[in-house]
Amino acid sequence: MTMLGLTRQPGFAMSASIQNPHFLLRRLHSLLGLVPVGAFLIFHLWENSQSRFGATHYNEEVVGALQGLNYLLLLELFVIALPLLFHAGYGLLIIRDGQAEPRRYGYLRNWLYWLQRISGLALILFLLLHVGLTRIAGLFDPSISADLFSHMQQALSQPLVFALYLIGVLLAVFHLANGIATAGIVWGLTSSAEAQRRFGWFCAGFGLLLAALGVHGLLGFLIAPGAGGGA
Amino acid sequence: MQAETRSNAARINEPFAAAAKAPPDHGRETGASRTPDRADAASRTVELRIRRQDGPTTAPYWQSFRLEARPGANIVSLLMDLREHCVTASGEPVDPVAFEHNCMEEVCGACAMLINGVPRPACSALIADLETPIRLEPLPKFPVVRDLMVDRAQLFAQLKRVKAWIRIDGAWDNHERAPRISPQDWAANYLYSRCMSCGCCLAACPQFGPDQAFVGPASLAQVRLMNAHPTGRHDKAERLHAIMADGGLSDCGNAQNCVRVCPKEIPLTTAIGELGRQTTVQALKDLFGGR
Repeated sequence: MTMLGLTRQPGFAMSASIQNPHFLLRRLHSLLGLVPVGAFLIFHLWENSQSRFGATHYNEEVVGALQGLNYLLLLELFVIALPLLFHAGYGLLIIRDGQAEPRRYGYLRNWLYWLQRISGLALILFLLLHVGLTRIAGLFDPSISADLFSHMQQALSQPLVFALYLIGVLLAVFHLANGIATAGIVWGLTSSAEAQRRFGWFCAGFGLLLAALGVHGLLGFLIAPGAGGGA
Repeated sequence: MQAETRSNAARINEPFAAAAKAPPDHGRETGASRTPDRADAASRTVELRIRRQDGPTTAPYWQSFRLEARPGANIVSLLMDLREHCVTASGEPVDPVAFEHNCMEEVCGACAMLINGVPRPACSALIADLETPIRLEPLPKFPVVRDLMVDRAQLFAQLKRVKAWIRIDGAWDNHERAPRISPQDWAANYLYSRCMSCGCCLAACPQFGPDQAFVGPASLAQVRLMNAHPTGRHDKAERLHAIMADGGLSDCGNAQNCVRVCPKEIPLTTAIGELGRQTTVQALKDLFGGR
């Protein structure tokens, strides 16, 4: 046995899956990425796609309705923030290892492996900016949450912010769609190569739909009737 | 076997290729007056660029060689020819290039190396199919012993780690018939039994490396094979527990390079998907009880 073999000695220890947290943590990371984080992304893009109905509808029917929810803070904390933090934090641990070499092995799945990691990193930066500019800023300035439509409209009319949001939305949608496709393999939903390919295309279609919904929501802030006023 | 059929195919096709290329009015011409294309097919001067390394801890360096490749030559036979007169392209005599080979028919896995940047067995890499200059490097991810020779003890350590064997039911007559396997199961299992531990899948895997704990696709595929065996299935839970520990199945990143580079075309990613299903069920059994 080589020296390399010896350094891996701890891995040789036999252990039942639930006594060793490794497997459960990985599966938890996968599960939380789908539900609630992925599910929230779909809900979030759906809600914001209503931006084109204008300030009144958006501020009252979308933001207002959500702000009126019971236990909103607990929901935000346990359904969005903590699962997202775990998914991002554990994801950072996972991507410490691994060299994709997408140029040497230019296969689609290898590119997607690489993009999944890059998009994960970029999304952490984007979400810091996004949550900071909306939810956190709203804590300090009540006028932001009172008229979130105008706040977002002003932000998105700057080309740089719009470009950042466009990239952020597309990366988030990609990360979810590709994540669903690989979760199918991880959990054993798809085993044969054909099933994996078929489900991969299904997820690509789902991603395109969700991306259209998200981009539509971004554009909605700019094309909404009575923009700026509150018609 | 594939190497044999491929080189045979190349030899069989040669006359047809020559006939197709020969100008119709000069059909009787032979020898020196053949077209240059034909001469190339018979024997060809190739440039080899080899990444050499004198010992496990010394720095690697590149050397170029120019030599005649005989018709039907593959990388192993070319390296054998080079061994006879190991002189670099600049005329400097150097130590012979160290490399491993054994079966010459793509069943032993000993000669795997990086050929033009792709991990594959050298015996089935025909010179006629390769772009020149041909770049040879030792198989990555494994410690280099010397030149193109690597230490793949790691691979066998991983097979032991996942218990990739089948316990016999006893060295005595147990008065039972041999286990029955359906032709369908047999056909599916056979694909995994072709693994020759060459390490190409590990070389291409972004999750496998000296600093990473991942067990790698080769051993995972053997877990799939052993778990399906009528006697081996009795140790299924133990094997699944082994691949549910640190560096196990869940370290797979689904880049799927393994299945692309596998010279035996083993459905490695199918094994990974099936093991995903088996470990999901096993985790539920571990959590809620049941065997």
